[in-house]
Amino acid sequence: MFLHQQIRKPLLATFQQIRSKRTTAISPEVQKLVTQLSVLSAGRKQPRLLKLCNEDYVKHQIITKAWSQLRNQKKKSDEALLNKQLESMSFACEELKKISPELYNLANKKEYGKRFPLEMRVPTEYPPRNIWYYDYVPPVAKGSKK
Amino acid sequence: MFKKQLFSQARSFATEVAASSSTSTTPITSVNAAIILSRTPIVTPEIPEFEQKYYQYQEELERRLMWTFPRWYYFKKGTVAEREFSKAQIYPIPKHRGVWFPKGVPDIKHGRDRRFKETIILPKKHQEEEATHASQASGAGDAQVSELEDVARPIKLNQRTTEADAKNDQTSLERQLSRTLYLLVKQNNGSWKFPSFQLKDNSTALHEVAEQGLRSIGGVNINTWTVSSTPAGVVKYGAKGEVVGPTSEGSTTEFLLKSHIIAGKFELQKNDNVKEHKWVSRDEIKELVNDEYFEQVGHLLAKV
Repeated sequence: MFLHQQIRKPLLATFQQIRSKRTTAISPEVQKLVTQLSVLSAGRKQPRLLKLCNEDYVKHQIITKAWSQLRNQKKKSDEALLNKQLESMSFACEELKKISPELYNLANKKEYGKRFPLEMRVPTEYPPRNIWYYDYVPPVAKGSKK
Repeated sequence: MFKKQLFSQARSFATEVAASSSTSTTPITSVNAAIILSRTPIVTPEIPEFEQKYYQYQEELERRLMWTFPRWYYFKKGTVAEREFSKAQIYPIPKHRGVWFPKGVPDIKHGRDRRFKETIILPKKHQEEEATHASQASGAGDAQVSELEDVARPIKLNQRTTEADAKNDQTSLERQLSRTLYLLVKQNNGSWKFPSFQLKDNSTALHEVAEQGLRSIGGVNINTWTVSSTPAGVVKYGAKGEVVGPTSEGSTTEFLLKSHIIAGKFELQKNDNVKEHKWVSRDEIKELVNDEYFEQVGHLLAKV
């Protein structure tokens, strides 16, 4: 009798486990929209508010102040340097004008279409495999200045 | 009519300039054109320690205040990618009744403890692992050439310091990649300065004289780009060749012109005036040249 019961029980269980097709309340299109909106909305994604203790807050203020002072110093020194360069340029031009107006005129000739050369590269975080191009041969032009 | 007036004005100005030229006392042979030839930095500048730490602090703050990564949007449920991604993550321990948490009770939403920053670990691709193993196994030489052809090879970063740095070879263009290097030459009297060349007549512009002179000492196989044909600065020398102030009347006037070297090999030619050359940064120039000279030219040199 026990044996009989043991056989029958799982049979009954399998019969009970059969479920009908799951019916969701929202269609896949709507589900997609919900997922997309959930990316944009804060919802449960927001972190906890950052609460600094007094000591940490003072530290933060000091760091920020030090940074702003450093930036300020840099800006001022850069500006001073630029001004100095401009003065030195104009002084040199005045000198050249005094010494030789012909050379001054030649130097101030407008160079139309002057561009940065294409071969010039922007600094990168790591150097290229070939750091420098050594095999340069100047092009032989008709008006070459050699 | 107006145009004509302007033209006549310009002409009168031109004659004025020409007239003053006849009165100028300085002979053209006492004028020199010097070239500040620079090699622009190849890598980004070194970041000072304080700035590095500040950037790190800011990044940590930003990461702490970031929203949780919406993984359900990027990985569709039930896909292999989703399984691999979630397998690679390290999940925080959830809160449990009767358990004491020494660092505070966790507040977990979407698999992230909201009290801390979220760390996302990208699952490593099998191919990548295999490739690193393969590259470690194979030696140099032929393998390196075939390695470069392999598009799927792992990224290997080049060194920011070079051989020239290790040897401290100051004649090499490959040293101090993060700094602007300038060409300095040694004069016959033993002092270092920027290469300078004497003018012969009025017909050649200053920058042309400087570029031609540069090729006479360094060979023609260099590619340079003149920044401007107008001088960037002026240095005056006394009768004994000493540097005098800009306002005083010197016996020799030297105009400085800026130029960049872009490519080519700078090889010192057999020359009477120049026996040695160096590629040095601003700080090294300050040590090499005499103080009076640096005072006149220091502001023209880049600090990075």
